[in-house]
Amino acid sequence: MDFSYLKSKRILLVDDEQALLDLVVSILQNDGYQSVTTAKNVKNAIQTAKEIQPELAILDVCLPDGNGFDLYEMLMRTGDYPVLFLTARGEEEDKFRGFDLGADDYVVKPFLSKELLFRITAILRRTYKEERPLVRLKNSAIDFSRAEVIKDGEHIPLTAKEHDLLSALYRNAGRIVTIDALCEAAWGDNPFGYENSLMAHIRRIREKIETNPSQPVSLVTVKGLGYKLILEK
Amino acid sequence: MRSVPKLIRRFVGLLLLSFVLLIVVNIVIIAIIASGQMENARPWSTAEQIAAALSQTENGYILSDEGATELTAASAWAILIDNDTKTVVWHSDDLPDSVPMNYTLSDISSLTRGYIDGYPTFTSGTETGLVVLGYPKTSFWKHMWPSWDYWLIAHAPQIALVVLIVNVFVILLIYVIANAKVLRSVKPITNGIQALPSGEPVYIRETGLLSEVATHINSTSEVLQAQKRELKKRETARANWIAGVSHDIRTPLSMVMGYADQLQIAPDLSEEQRHKAGIILKQSERMRDLINDLNLVSKLEYNMQPISVKQENAVAVVRQVAVDFINTDIDGKYPIEWLTEETLSVCMVSADRDLLKRAVSNLIQNCINHNENGCTIYVSVAQEQNNCVICVEDNGIGASDEQIVKLNTAPHYMVCDTNTTEQRHGLGLLIVKQIAAAHNGTTAIEHSRFGGFAVKITLPSK
Repeated sequence: MDFSYLKSKRILLVDDEQALLDLVVSILQNDGYQSVTTAKNVKNAIQTAKEIQPELAILDVCLPDGNGFDLYEMLMRTGDYPVLFLTARGEEEDKFRGFDLGADDYVVKPFLSKELLFRITAILRRTYKEERPLVRLKNSAIDFSRAEVIKDGEHIPLTAKEHDLLSALYRNAGRIVTIDALCEAAWGDNPFGYENSLMAHIRRIREKIETNPSQPVSLVTVKGLGYKLILEK
Repeated sequence: MRSVPKLIRRFVGLLLLSFVLLIVVNIVIIAIIASGQMENARPWSTAEQIAAALSQTENGYILSDEGATELTAASAWAILIDNDTKTVVWHSDDLPDSVPMNYTLSDISSLTRGYIDGYPTFTSGTETGLVVLGYPKTSFWKHMWPSWDYWLIAHAPQIALVVLIVNVFVILLIYVIANAKVLRSVKPITNGIQALPSGEPVYIRETGLLSEVATHINSTSEVLQAQKRELKKRETARANWIAGVSHDIRTPLSMVMGYADQLQIAPDLSEEQRHKAGIILKQSERMRDLINDLNLVSKLEYNMQPISVKQENAVAVVRQVAVDFINTDIDGKYPIEWLTEETLSVCMVSADRDLLKRAVSNLIQNCINHNENGCTIYVSVAQEQNNCVICVEDNGIGASDEQIVKLNTAPHYMVCDTNTTEQRHGLGLLIVKQIAAAHNGTTAIEHSRFGGFAVKITLPSK
């Protein structure tokens, strides 16, 4: 999936340690992010935010002149953009406080560069959506914006449940999605007893996307665990 | 406390036993005294003997020698009052002067019941008159009105029984009143002693009969509370210390990991240098995991980890963890087989979802860590009676019998209260055990049926 359009987003990075700022900046720049601005304290961060109008903020919690939670609230008074906390405070209550405020993600140091980049991409992707492209499968294509499958030139509509299930599978394309997670995606928070319905829906989806539904190649079963959507490269 | 009513019952029992014994002893004493009083009937028989020993002759009445001896032995005097004249027709030699010689019927009636001039008298009739024996003044006491109400005598047994019952009742009443105060003092004391092992603070009012005991219990409770506070303080300090150290180490470790990660893929470095950077990154990750584990272990150990228990489907939670591992196992070195029965889609447990996921992750990660050359990992969830059994096993190198026993029984160094150089292995299994225990469950480490290592977590199922 191509998310290069996200690399131009303006990112504000706040941490009191210069060495860590340098590290994260280099991680982001190496991945192609072109607009990363740093600040070392709350005062500086507010000033910088006014100047650059960030599209994503990465905040440390422990700052010399205040804390990241208060900074978050101050920033949100003048702007509306996603925030990721990047902090050494790994206690549950700190995490809950961060999420409770409305943070989009909370990463505890030490972190892997790749993990941080994945999380940043995920936040930006969710916040700044590009029109969804056509998802290409081996024998068909899915157009999520129109809720239809295109197979052999024919446009086959998807039901709401089929759309929900395919969306959940597409978000994790190439990875197994558990039966429980799929039931939850389609039937909400209390998804017990829907396993048979799920199988029926999967069968109907296969009839729409596969050439031979009894020998699926795009939507495969992983016995006992779940299903996997395989995209055409 | 159950021993208090037992104590009271024992006291009352003893009291009743004392009554019975007292009555028996009294009866025996009365019988002994009464048997000694048999002599008291003798004056009447002596009078009869004297009457018999008197014989009438032409010269008047004569007392036989035996009669005279008997009279002397009894130190008594005797007179014979004539039936017709009511005058004394014979008397013994030692008759006191104050004894009248003429009697009226009224006098005779009086002397029969009582005395003549203070001498206790005893009578016996003869054909011609009445023999009266007079004993020394201080030898006998005579009951002058020897008559009883007939009803009293007829109902004597019942009356005796009623008197006995009333006596018992009165004494019990006295006992209860006297002991009520003691019992009132004992109750808070026993409650206090009972509450001491619970670890809650105990305070008993220091008044009443047992105030001294109450004071001692109060001071014992204060000592226990002080010890508990001190222990809690130490535990908190230790957990905070671990939390503080792990916090401070995170930022420098971020730098190590970040730059090692960049060096690992830097194109201008040699293959060997990139490989070394990769090792630094891998070992840094181990340090990060160890810090996280250390922090969690210390918090679970000192009950400082907030546990938010909800009804969770263990099948879904374990399946998600298994799938997360499958999705990240790119080179397929550690395939995971899902062995849960297809019919079991729900197995509800009261659990903290994140902690449960952590426990299962640790078990799967353990299989990976201990089998560098790869292995198949088998994951299953089963419902056994009222329990939900989560099993993670592998076909890897496994462990010896001795190691299995040690893992099941020996405490980990983190929670061992004696000096130990053993058990210096990772914290993964300890966390699993702690999480199972925090959910009222158990952990069993066994040999796997597939040849490797197996760990079963058993949690109560709802």
